[in-house]
This record gives sequence, structure tokens and C-alpha cells, in this order.
Amino acid sequence: MSAGEADGDADADAGGGVAPDARTAGPRRSRAGTLKYVAGAVLWGWVLLRWGNDWLGGVFVPRGQAFVPPATVAGLGDAIPVLAGVANGLAFAVHYLPNLMNAMWLTVVLTVVSITLGFPLAVALAAARSYGHYTGWAALGFVELFRGTPLLAQLFVLYYGLPWLPAFFRNLPFVGEGIVPAQAVWVAVVGFTLNSAAYQGEYIRGAIDSVDPGQLEAGRAVGLSKLGSVRYVVLPQALRYAIPGWTNELVYLIKYSSLAAFITVPELLYRAQAFASETYRYTELFVLAGVLYLGLVVTASSLMGYVEGRVAIPGLGNAEGR
Amino acid sequence: MSDDPLVRVDDLHKRYGDEEVLKGISFEMDRQDVQVLVGPSGSGKSTLLRCVNRLTEFQGGEITLDGTPVTEMDVDDLRRQVGMVFQDFNLFAHLTAKENIMLGPRRVLGKTEEEAAERALDELDRVGLAAQADSYPAELSGGQKQRVGIARALAMDPKLMLFDEPTSALDPELIGEVVEVMEDLAEGGMTMLVVTHEMGFARAAATDIMFLDQGRIVEHGPPERLFENPEHERTAQFLERLTRLHGETR
Ligand SMILES: Nc1ncnc2c1ncn2[C@@H]1O[C@H](COP(=O)(O)OP(=O)(O)OP(=O)(O)O)[C@@H](O)[C@H]1O
Ligand SMILES: [Mg+2]
Repeated sequence: MSAGEADGDADADAGGGVAPDARTAGPRRSRAGTLKYVAGAVLWGWVLLRWGNDWLGGVFVPRGQAFVPPATVAGLGDAIPVLAGVANGLAFAVHYLPNLMNAMWLTVVLTVVSITLGFPLAVALAAARSYGHYTGWAALGFVELFRGTPLLAQLFVLYYGLPWLPAFFRNLPFVGEGIVPAQAVWVAVVGFTLNSAAYQGEYIRGAIDSVDPGQLEAGRAVGLSKLGSVRYVVLPQALRYAIPGWTNELVYLIKYSSLAAFITVPELLYRAQAFASETYRYTELFVLAGVLYLGLVVTASSLMGYVEGRVAIPGLGNAEGR
Repeated sequence: MSDDPLVRVDDLHKRYGDEEVLKGISFEMDRQDVQVLVGPSGSGKSTLLRCVNRLTEFQGGEITLDGTPVTEMDVDDLRRQVGMVFQDFNLFAHLTAKENIMLGPRRVLGKTEEEAAERALDELDRVGLAAQADSYPAELSGGQKQRVGIARALAMDPKLMLFDEPTSALDPELIGEVVEVMEDLAEGGMTMLVVTHEMGFARAAATDIMFLDQGRIVEHGPPERLFENPEHERTAQFLERLTRLHGETR
């Protein structure tokens, strides 16, 4: 049942077998894999340096200013005329990246906080839909509401339709100070959490339904309550089955977090768009933004692939597990 | 109190929708009895077992365990006292053999990790699988899985063990190891209600054999009588056929 690339890892571990330690060694890396790790380390090393620099008020260079002056990069073009075009583009990138990376912080906050808060909600929704009676209907209503209406409409309702909600966040301590984003971001987090919970819940429900009913029955037969059987027997298996689908939802969320721009959150795509309309260099700025999104997405799916390998259990999730 | 039968089933009726599956079943089991249940497919054997630990509810009659009607017991408490072994094992797929056995004692009986682990190792030892403690179900053979399934039920210290065709999903060469464990268990004084086609086990271990057909008990008695001198022609035919198919497995 489980789809996708990460299966290879699980299988490799399954062969290893008996000693639990064999599973902690992790998958063997191919050359392309090594390249990915190096690229990831460079990207995130740089991102963290940037964030650190700007959050601490400019330790290495003033806030928002590149580590290497764009003029220096452009100067390369003067030295080697064939590379003038490339150097020019790079200088442009170097000039705007610091600000784009600060905007990326908001994208990361929106995604990570929403997916994390949405997860327990999704588990509850999925369990209710698989096992509940009235709660099942309630969960179905929730899921249909949030899957069946445009996310943008949901954000508008939360931000403009419920004035007390942004006001509530504005009055919380630390909101809008330092690295803690302003209230619009938290309203967007509420929207993404609810919306994402609906989608995550559907992936998890599918996984719950693919667990053999005999498992629940065996849990009941040793004297566990229904809730206990779900908690200790069904969910540990279902959540493993759900990882590939759940990763999909995470990747979507990274990208549709840009809808927060419509309720004034200056996240990555919004900032790219703003710079683009200042400079008319749309292509370059959206390519830059795209590269940063790609970095986030590849990071997220690699992390989840790693997690999937770490929690893999022999026979679970491969063909044999059903 | 302990002179009463451990299990008393009195005029049990069970329906699925309009279909009556059990049509008035009555029998008793004393402590240490081994009751073997045979009958053609669809005769209601599994249903009867599942009524005893209330994995399914019944509509008429009464089942008592140790004098208390099971319908008046807390259902989780009832299942704590009644172990069950399944045809297709139903080991918890995400847990090792040891962890499979520990789950009930940990989460139902509230034992500590150490107590539960110690008990699990004892039970694995009893079924001859101490070396497989850290194997996952997918890494075990069918016979090994079923022995873990038995160990898992035993770790709850049940008063009664239910077996629903514990060897039917096994390759013939693996049946022996499971039957052996069950015979040891019977010898050790466990009260067992066993659905099985293993006539070797029935001859060796059964106190009584019950022949069920279409939701009714056709014949019920000690193995010697049912094998040698059955009242009904049907019983004779059925047992003879089982013996031919599943006679001596070792
Ligand atoms: N959950 C259910 N819903 C409806 N009917 C059922 C259900 N379970 C069993 N039955 C029916 O009840 C009857 C008895 O089934 P049961 O499983 O108890 O038979 P069995 O003697 O165990 O047969 P087998 O040897 O095939 O396991 C059958 O006619 C079956 O179709
Ligand atoms: Mg059956």
C-alpha cells in the first residue's frame, strides 16, 4: 500500500532484521544522496547564518545586507567579460536574497506550526471518522467544510470576518516583537491548521482503514478498551502507513502557505512579488523564490523519508503487511 | 463457589440479522476441562467462542463465568480473564514477540515495564521461543507466531482460554509445535475451549468433544465415546473424515 521512494529504505532495514540496532544505522547513501546532503547542509548553514545575523541585529553584516557585497560579485563580470551576464544575475540575487530569506522565515513558521498543531487534530478527526458515531458525523462535517471551500475564503473569514481573532493575537505578549511574527501570521496559522487537519485527517483515516481489523480485535481480546486498542495497536501501525501521504500534505502546505499574503503576511512569495514590481525583474525574483521553495520542499521530503526509515518495522508497510 | 462449573452456557441464542446462528446451546465446563468443539464450516463454532468473551453480543440465554453472567461483567474485565487465540494469529504487527506479550500486562494490568518484560520472557520460554523475543511477527514462521499468540494470552493469567482453529492457517509441518504447546497447557490444568480439527489433540487432551451443526449441538461426550461409539451416524461420519484429514500430525 505505501507509495513512493522511501520504501527502498524500509526494505533495506527489513532485511537487516532482528537486532533493533540494525535499524538505527539508516539507509546507505548513494552518490546523489550525498550530493543532496551537502546541498542541504550548505543551504541550511547559510539560512541559519542569515537568520542569526539579522535576529541579533546584524552581527556580521548590517541587517538585510548580503555577506558578500553585490558590487564585488558584479565586479567578477568586469574581470572575466564572458561571465558578465552570469555575474550580473548573481549580483542581483545576492542583493535580494537576504530579504527573501527573512520572508522565508515566515513561510517556515506558517508551515511548521500549522502542520504540527494540525496533526493531533487530524488524528482525532481520523479516529472519530473510523470509529465514532456522532463524533464521526461531526468530523465528517469538519472535513467537508475545510476541504470543500477555498482556503483563501477561509483565511478571509478568519482575518476580516472575525475581527476579535486578530485582535486576540495582537494582545498576546511578544506577538510582532523580534522573531515572533505579527498577528496576521497567527491568524493564517489558525486557518492552515484547521485546513491542513482536514487533509491530514483523510490520509490518516485511509491508513487506519488499511490496518487489519483483526488487530483491533486482538487488542480488545487482551482486555484493552476500544480507545486503548486504537491508541496502542491501530495508530502505531496506521501512522507509519500514513507517512508518504502525510509528507504530500506537508509539501502542499509549504507552497500554499503563500496564500497568507492575501491577509497581509509578507511571506516569501509576497516579498518576491513586491521586489519584482519595484524592479520589473519578475523572472529573476520568482526563480529565486522558486529555488528557496524547492529547498524547503526537498528538505521536508528528505526529513520525512529519513523518519520513515527510522520507524520502519519489518513486514509493516511492505507488500506483506498488505 | 469453586464447586460450580467455571463456564455455564445455558440455552444460548445468537442471531445475525434474521439468521439464527446459534439455536439454543447449553453445556458446562469445570475447571481444567478441555472442551473440543468440532463441526462443519458455518455451524457457529467461532460465533460461540466469541459470545463467551463478548466479542459479539447474543440475544438469548446466558453464559456465566465463575458464577457471574458475562453480560453483567465489565467487558474489559471479562476479556482480561478469558484469553483468546486466533486462527490467523493477529499478533500486533508493529511489536516484537516480547512486546506483543507485554502490552496487555502493561496497559491492562498496569504492571511495570520490568515486571511485564520478565513475565513475557517466562512465557516465551514456556512456548520455546526465548530466542525470538526481539523478532517482529513478519520475521516469525506461522507456528512461531501462533506460539507467541498463545504466550500473549497466557501472560494475562486467564481463567479460561479460547482457541479458534489455532492450527488451521499453518503448514502441516508446523502444526505439531503448536499442538504440543496446547497439550502441555492442558496437562498443566488450564481450562480450554478449543475449536480444532486436530483429532490427535482431541484424543490426547479433550475432556469432552462437542459436535456442532447448524447452530445446534448434535452430540456431546468424552472422546472415547464419540470416536468409538457415537449415537449419531452424522457424528461418526464427521469424526471419521476429520481423522482421515487431520489425524495424527506427528
Ligand atoms: N459478522 C457476521 N455477520 C453476519 N453473519 C455472520 C457473521 N459472522 C458469522 N456469520 C454467519 O454465522 C454463521 C456461523 O459462522 P461461524 O463463523 O460461527 O461458523 P464456524 O463454525 O466458525 O465456521 P468456520 O469453520 O468456517 O470457521 C455462518 O453462517 C456465517 O455466515
Ligand atoms: Mg470459525
